[in-house]
Amino acid sequence: MPDALVADLRAALAPERVLAEPLELTLYARDAGIIEGHAHVVCFPLTTGEVQACVRIARAHGRPFTPRGSGTGLAGGAVPVEDPVVIVTTKMDRILEVDEEDRVAWVEPGVLNLDLTHSVAHLGLHYAPDPSSQQSCTVGGNVATNSGGPHCLLYGVTSAHVLAIEVVLADGSVALLGGVDAEPAGYDLRGAFVGSEGTMGIATRIAVRLTPTPPAVRTLLLDFLSVEGAAATVTGIIAAGIVPAALEMMDAEITRAVEDFVHAGFPRDAAAVLLVEVDGLPAGVEAAAQVVADVGRVHGARSTRVAADEAERALLWKGRKSAFGAIARIAPNYYLHDAVVPRTRLVEVLSRVYEIAARHRLVMMNVFHAGDGNLHPLIVFDRRENGVMERVTAAGEEIITACVEAGGVLSGEHGIGLEKRDYMPLIFGEADLDAQARLRHAFDPDGVANPTKVLPAGSRCGDLQRVPEGAWI
Amino acid sequence: MTLHLDDDELVSCVACGLCLPHCPTYRVTGEESASPRGRIAAMRAVQWSGAPLEGDFTRFMDLCVQCRACEAVCPSSVPFGHLMEGARETLASDTRYQPGWRRAGYRVLGRHRLLLTASTALAVGQRLRLVPRRFGLPRLALRRRPLVATGNDVWLFTGCVMDAWMRETHAAVMRVLAAAGAGVALPGPGAACCGALHEHAGLVEDAQRLARRVIGAFPGEAPVLVDSAGCGAALKGYGRLLGTPDAAEFSRRVMDVHEWLAARVDALPVPARRFPQLVAVQDPCHLRHVQKAHAHVRTVLGRYADLVELDDEGLCCGAGGAYAALHPDMAADIRARKVAAIARTGAVVVASANPGCAMHLAVAGLDVRHPLEIVDEVIRDGR
Ligand SMILES: Cc1cc2nc3c(=O)[nH]c(=O)nc-3n(C[C@H](O)[C@H](O)[C@H](O)COP(=O)(O)OP(=O)(O)OC[C@H]3O[C@@H](n4cnc5c(N)ncnc54)[C@H](O)[C@@H]3O)c2cc1C
Ligand code: SF4
Ligand code: SF4
Repeated sequence: MPDALVADLRAALAPERVLAEPLELTLYARDAGIIEGHAHVVCFPLTTGEVQACVRIARAHGRPFTPRGSGTGLAGGAVPVEDPVVIVTTKMDRILEVDEEDRVAWVEPGVLNLDLTHSVAHLGLHYAPDPSSQQSCTVGGNVATNSGGPHCLLYGVTSAHVLAIEVVLADGSVALLGGVDAEPAGYDLRGAFVGSEGTMGIATRIAVRLTPTPPAVRTLLLDFLSVEGAAATVTGIIAAGIVPAALEMMDAEITRAVEDFVHAGFPRDAAAVLLVEVDGLPAGVEAAAQVVADVGRVHGARSTRVAADEAERALLWKGRKSAFGAIARIAPNYYLHDAVVPRTRLVEVLSRVYEIAARHRLVMMNVFHAGDGNLHPLIVFDRRENGVMERVTAAGEEIITACVEAGGVLSGEHGIGLEKRDYMPLIFGEADLDAQARLRHAFDPDGVANPTKVLPAGSRCGDLQRVPEGAWI
Repeated sequence: MTLHLDDDELVSCVACGLCLPHCPTYRVTGEESASPRGRIAAMRAVQWSGAPLEGDFTRFMDLCVQCRACEAVCPSSVPFGHLMEGARETLASDTRYQPGWRRAGYRVLGRHRLLLTASTALAVGQRLRLVPRRFGLPRLALRRRPLVATGNDVWLFTGCVMDAWMRETHAAVMRVLAAAGAGVALPGPGAACCGALHEHAGLVEDAQRLARRVIGAFPGEAPVLVDSAGCGAALKGYGRLLGTPDAAEFSRRVMDVHEWLAARVDALPVPARRFPQLVAVQDPCHLRHVQKAHAHVRTVLGRYADLVELDDEGLCCGAGGAYAALHPDMAADIRARKVAAIARTGAVVVASANPGCAMHLAVAGLDVRHPLEIVDEVIRDGR
């Protein structure tokens, strides 16, 4: 029997765009991470006005709200906590305007990242941030998590590509942050919003920068018999003065899992492989590819394969980008971290990470954006196994501590969400957390926008807790 | 309440969401309940948490086109088709999911004489303008010329609706096979229906009964060629459906007709001149995602016509066997995307290796032909 909140939402949107049946709600309990919550109601607005209506009605009934795009987030950002109104943007999926000359596109938040790139490909342009989930995730979700991707090594992460954002704030009003002009006046609130994970409101229209597609590109696959050799090659390439467009590493286990899916000819017996891409003008690309191959050889690369054509290149990237999905071939659940460590300490951190997993009798794999030191240590497990969650949690905590001790940070790109929230005190002091809480408070004084995410409870009063409370619901 | 699904299959989805954009019903709705990931989550809710079968769960399952695009793109190789068939089998046996009138409809497909008579009646009805266009039927022939066997190098599977409504396609396929030097044997009445629609509807026993009949209709060792992608996928799946060595052996003999021809493409005549129009290739889901034999269509057809690819990565057209008849609105919304993708190619002729897709797209006003009808036309023009 629908309650008053549901009835009001149905009247404001349309009955079929407001879901409240138990089974329907179950499907919105989680994102691509492992934490589950519970939604009170799920709605699908079509316009900024409808998003405003959702926010206002939620408030009128004393409910918080949680924005959601495609639900591919890995940190629990879109997991509904405190029985919120879940506001899904997937039906707001129009590309509103493409300005070829200024290379700017205005899009609705539910446009899929790869759809945007496909739709401007004929203009010789693309949208540069390319998270591995790019076929599925929304531009709104990318903005909210400040997504990175393999090619962000050269091109920069999402924040470098977002010019302006129309936002429905926590009180239901609309604000335009940033602007398409070079230097909009005032504080860069656009910068504050990017990466805010739904805690500062909902993006309803986004102006993104489009990037010219480079005329030439070379993709190389280097194959190593030791992780150390691969890691040394990563540092060596950068030290040689080359910034590849992408520089990705996969360890032995993940390489095998991926190969079993794509059949791209990844070496099943390698200890690690590097996927390196250089782009630019043809002559420069040739030279850079040569340097990459040489550095690899010096550090013991067994072979270097250069993708012969676009099809081979696409297949290699498909392998890399399916890595998280492909691990279910080994076990059905994964838990991953997203820490960034200084490139020079990669080898040392990696060996500690493997050691921690071994001690907890867990299977550990590594696939990551090596170029910027953004690790993705993945623990794979079967949740049905008795007592496994405790070991996963304990290992996770040790891993993140090891990364932070090596001078790293918590999240390179997936965001903090729910999952990494209680690790925040590992890298931020009380004063830092308090400052962040105040910024959030300025946007959302009543705490209704995606509550409990990002900042640990008590960030404003020094009452910090380390245990990921409720994190394994 | 349980769905009787294999827990290991059900647990294998990691909820990564990489399948979402490839699912036609998710593309149209943007809703989890209409996505592979959401459907799996709903199956889990029933099997593991006792959610009811009737109501929403049935609705979510029924809206799936069973195109299996999700299965082909899933990096975890979740066997979605098998899970969905299992869920529907439980629905069909434990609920009123397949009411009597629907079951009766499916049974007609296995009774070929009845189907032919009914089809003639429909054809007369069309002449009298008694059959509404939105039913999406092609213009049926009043008289069907009988097919005549030409040898015994290969079998041609003739099927139910395909034989009743599109026998001219079989005739064209036989002429192309003859041009490649192959004598074609035709099955007896046992090969009346492959049972794919029954299996998709959860009527597994009916499907198994039909499968046994089909196997019996193709004695010997000769390859069994199929010119309808949906039937071909079903025949290739008999090994799993029946679980017997005989069935598995039979499935190994089954090939899509393009698959067989592609290996012998040099035996086909060199065209005097190519097909005059650009042809857009539409990949039937059960050829691309299930049989993974879509490249062979290009090998064969490309010898005779200039081809252009669609930019939708094989997104389903919405035909889905009986789907377009059962969910006309959703099927039309899905088709609109396909029609737009075809329009972007600029081609006016579309090649589709599945009669269901061809009929469904033809209703939207497109000129859709079986790839081998185009090949046949070029070969005959060259004489
Ligand atoms: C296989 C796989 C690979 C991945 N690879 C990468 C990668 O390489 N790099 C990377 O950065 N991430 C990666 N991710 C994580 C994820 O895809 C990104 O975080 C992505 O940006 C999430 O987008 P989404 O639309 O799915 O958002 P959701 O998961 O739905 O939401 C993510 C967060 O954004 C908020 N949000 C969503 N839409 C809006 C909006 N319109 N306004 C305000 N807040 C909003 C939500 O509340 C939530 O906090 C990967 C995930 C998977 C499953
Ligand atoms: S079905 Fe496969 S692709 Fe889809 S969410 Fe599950 S694991 Fe990912
Ligand atoms: S079979 Fe097709 S319609 Fe059904 S869930 Fe998979 S992709 Fe979607």
